[in-house]
Amino acid sequence: MRRVVAVAGILALAVLLVTFPIWTADWESSRYATTILRDMLVLAILALSLDLLVGVAGMPSLGHAAFFGTGAYAAAIAAQRLGNDDLLVGLGAAIAVAALLAFGIGLFAVRAAGIFFLMLTLAFAQMVFAVAFQAVDLTGGSNGLAGVHRPTLAGLDFNGADALYQLVAVLFLLVLVLSWRIRSSTYGRALAGLRENERRMRALGYDTTRLKLSAFVLAGAIAGVGGALSAYSLRFVSTNDVGVGRSIEAFVSVLIGGTGTLIGPVVGAVVVLYIERVLPSSIPFAETVLGLVFVVFVVAARQGIVGLAVATYARVRR
Amino acid sequence: MIEARDLRREFGGIVALAGVDLRVEQGERRAIIGPNGAGKTTLFNILTGELAPTSGSVRLGGEDVTARRPHELARRGVARMYQRNELFDPLPARENVALALRAATGPYRPFTAPARSVAAVADALLERVGLGGRGDAAARALSHGERRQLELALALARAPRLLLLDEPTAGMSPAETARISGLIDALERTLTIVVVEHDMDVVFRLADRITVLHEGRVIADGTPAEVRADTQVTEVYLGKVVA
Amino acid sequence: MSPEVFVQQALNGISFGALLFILAAGLSLIFGMMDVVNLAHGAFYMLGAYVTLAIVQRTGQFWLALFVAPAVVGLLGLILEPLLLRRLRGRHLDQVLLTIGVSLVIADLLGLTFGREIHSIPLPAGLDRSTQILGSDYPVYRLFVIAFGVALAAALTLIHRRTRLGALIRAGVDDAQMLDALGVDIDRLFSRTFASGAALAGLAGVIAAPVFGIFPGMDVDALIYSLIVVVVGGLGSLSGAIAGAGLVGPADTFGKVLFPQFALALIFAIMALVLLLRPTGLLGRVRIVR
Repeated sequence: MRRVVAVAGILALAVLLVTFPIWTADWESSRYATTILRDMLVLAILALSLDLLVGVAGMPSLGHAAFFGTGAYAAAIAAQRLGNDDLLVGLGAAIAVAALLAFGIGLFAVRAAGIFFLMLTLAFAQMVFAVAFQAVDLTGGSNGLAGVHRPTLAGLDFNGADALYQLVAVLFLLVLVLSWRIRSSTYGRALAGLRENERRMRALGYDTTRLKLSAFVLAGAIAGVGGALSAYSLRFVSTNDVGVGRSIEAFVSVLIGGTGTLIGPVVGAVVVLYIERVLPSSIPFAETVLGLVFVVFVVAARQGIVGLAVATYARVRR
Repeated sequence: MIEARDLRREFGGIVALAGVDLRVEQGERRAIIGPNGAGKTTLFNILTGELAPTSGSVRLGGEDVTARRPHELARRGVARMYQRNELFDPLPARENVALALRAATGPYRPFTAPARSVAAVADALLERVGLGGRGDAAARALSHGERRQLELALALARAPRLLLLDEPTAGMSPAETARISGLIDALERTLTIVVVEHDMDVVFRLADRITVLHEGRVIADGTPAEVRADTQVTEVYLGKVVA
Repeated sequence: MSPEVFVQQALNGISFGALLFILAAGLSLIFGMMDVVNLAHGAFYMLGAYVTLAIVQRTGQFWLALFVAPAVVGLLGLILEPLLLRRLRGRHLDQVLLTIGVSLVIADLLGLTFGREIHSIPLPAGLDRSTQILGSDYPVYRLFVIAFGVALAAALTLIHRRTRLGALIRAGVDDAQMLDALGVDIDRLFSRTFASGAALAGLAGVIAAPVFGIFPGMDVDALIYSLIVVVVGGLGSLSGAIAGAGLVGPADTFGKVLFPQFALALIFAIMALVLLLRPTGLLGRVRIVR
C-alpha cells in the first residue's frame, strides 16, 4: 500500500513539474519563475551527470563542463550547419560529440587517480576551452554563438517559452529515471565497489580501467544532453559553457545537495541557481554567499542537504 | 600449478627479492614464512599481478602470466586474502560477497537490477565462512575476526584454483585463529593454497611444504619436519617467532 | 623571426617565467608540505594585485605596496589555515574543495569592492623607461621582474638549503608526520607555511599588476598557470618550480607568437603529458600516494 502511495505521489510531482507554466499562469512572475525553474533543471541534469562520476564512481572531476559545453556547441552547430532543427538530430549530435570527447579525454584521464585525476580533468577541460576560444569560425570565440534555433520534433515546435520548458522538464525526468536505474543496476553497484575499494575490485577480476572509462563516457554523454538543452534555452552558447566556472558550479551543486544520492544533485542545483539568480535581486554579493555556503558545507555538512536530511530522519525515528 | 622462476624485484636501491624460485603443485598447501622484510608480501604482489618483477617469470598452470594484470589473473582463478583487509567498508557483508560473485558475469548491465539468486549464493558463502546471519551488517561494523572471515569469503567467491592467503590470522585472538585455520583446513583438496603466516601452530597444522624466505632469498624449502630441523632456519627465524 | 624580435620575445618569456616562478613557488611549497592543492592561490594573487591598486591609488607608492600587499595576503593565510583547513587535515579532496569556496568568496568581494572594470596602474617611478637592447627599446620594468625573480629564487634556495627553517620544510615535504613525532609543532609550521605560500602569491600579484592589469577573472588565469608550472616542474620542489616556470614562461610566450591559434592548448597539452608520463613532475620527488 505504501508503495502505491509513493509511486502515485512521485507521478503527481512529475506531472506538476511538467505542467508548471500552466498552473502558474496567473502568477505575476510566471514567466520569470518558469525561466528560473528551466535553468535549474538544466543545471540539475549537469549535476546528475557529474555525480555519476563523483558520488557513484568516486572519480571527482573538475572538468565536467567540457562535455556540457561541447554538447551545447554541437546542438547549436548541427542546427546551423545542417539546416535541420529536428530535436533528435540536435540531441544526437550533442550526445555523440560529448561522448566522443569524453572517450578521448577519458582514455588518458582514468589512468590517474585522486588529486592527479582532478588536475588532469581540469587541464583537459581548459584545453577544450582554449580550442573553443580560438576556433572563432566554428564557435564564435569569446562572442559565442547567438540565434540558436529551438528544435522541432514530429510537427511539435519548441519555440515558445512554455513548450521549451516542457521539453526540458521531460528530459530532466528521463535523466532522473535513468540515473536511478543506473545506480540500482549491477553496473551501478560495480561503480560503487570501484569507489569504495578499487584494489579489491581488481583482485576480484573487474577491469577497473575500462569500468572507469565507461562511467566517464556515460557521464559525459548525459552532460552533453544538458548542454544541448542549455543552448536551446538561452538560444546562445559561449565559452562560459565549457569554462572552469561552469565545472565548479556543477561540483558545488553536487556537494551542497549531497554526493552519491539520487536527488542530492537536483537539490543542490536548485539551491545554487537560487543563490546565483534569485538572490542577487535582494543582495549584491551572491557569489560570496555561494562561496560561503559551499565552505560551510565542506567543513561542517559534507554529506550535503540530502545526507543531513537522511541522518536527521534516522535520528528522529529512534 | 604455479611456478615462479628467479624472481627479482628492486625498489630504487632496495632489493626486495633477489632471485626467488617457487614451485607449488596443484592441490598442495604451501606455507611461506620468514622475518618481516623478507619479501613475502612483495612475492604475493607479483603473483597476483599488482607488481611486475624486475626480472624473472611466473607461470600459472603452464601459462606465462608474468605481464598479466590483477584482474586478468583473477579471471584465471587466482584469489587473494590481503594482509590488511581490502573490503567494501560501508557496504553490507552480503553486498561485499555479491560484488565478488558478480565479477564473473561482468558489470556492464546498466539497466539490469542485481539478480536475487546472487544474494542467496552470497548468503550461503557467508554461512560457509561462519558469518551466517551477518549479511546485513556493514563490513566496517564487523569485528576484526569477522572481517577476516569476510575477506576469506571474498577470496573463495569465484571458486579459485589458487588461493593466496596473506597472514590470515593476523591480529586474532586464539579462538578466532582456531576458527579461521579450521576453515582453511576444511577447504577442498583440489584447491592450491599458499599461505604467508607468522603463527607457527597454524603453519604446521596446514602446510604440506614450507618455504622460508630471508632477505629476498629462499633459504629453505621442504616438509615441516625438514624445515624444523634446518639449523640455518632456526638461527635466522624460528628463534624469534611470536606465536 | 629577426634577431631583435627573438631577443625581445626571449626576454618576455624569461620575465614571464620569473613571474610564474614567484607565483608557483608558494603553491609548490603548500603542496609539498601539506599535501594541499590550494586552489585559492589565484585568488591570493588577485588580492595582492588589488591591494596594490588600492595603495597606489591612495599614495602612489608602488614600493610600499611591494611590502604591504604580501603581508596582507599572508595574514589572511595565517587566519584561514587554522580556521578552516586544519579541520580537514587528512581529507585532501575536501581541502581542495574548501579552497575553491574561499577563492569564490575572495574574488567576489574584490569585485564588489573595486568594481568589475579593468584597472591599471602605472609602472613604478624609476622603472618606467625603456633601455636599448640590440638596437631596440625594451621596457626596464620587465628586466626588473627578471632580476627580482632571480633574486627571490636565490634567496629562497638559500633559506631552503642553509637555514633551520629550510631544513624543517625539506623534512616536512618528505614526511610531516615524522616531524610531528619528533616534537615539532606541526600546527604552527603548517599555518606559517600556508601564510608564506599565500604571501608569495600576493607578491606575484604586486609585481604583475603594472604589466598585466587588474581585473575580475585574473585569479582563474593565475591559478591555471601556477598549476601547470607546479605540475610540470614537480610538486613540492623549489627547483621544480624554477624548472617549471623556466619551461612554461618561454613556451607560452613563443607559442603565442609562433602559433597563436594553439598556444593555449599547447601549454595544457604539456601539462597533461607530464601528468601522464611523470606524475611527480620533471624534478619532483617520488611520493608514495595511496
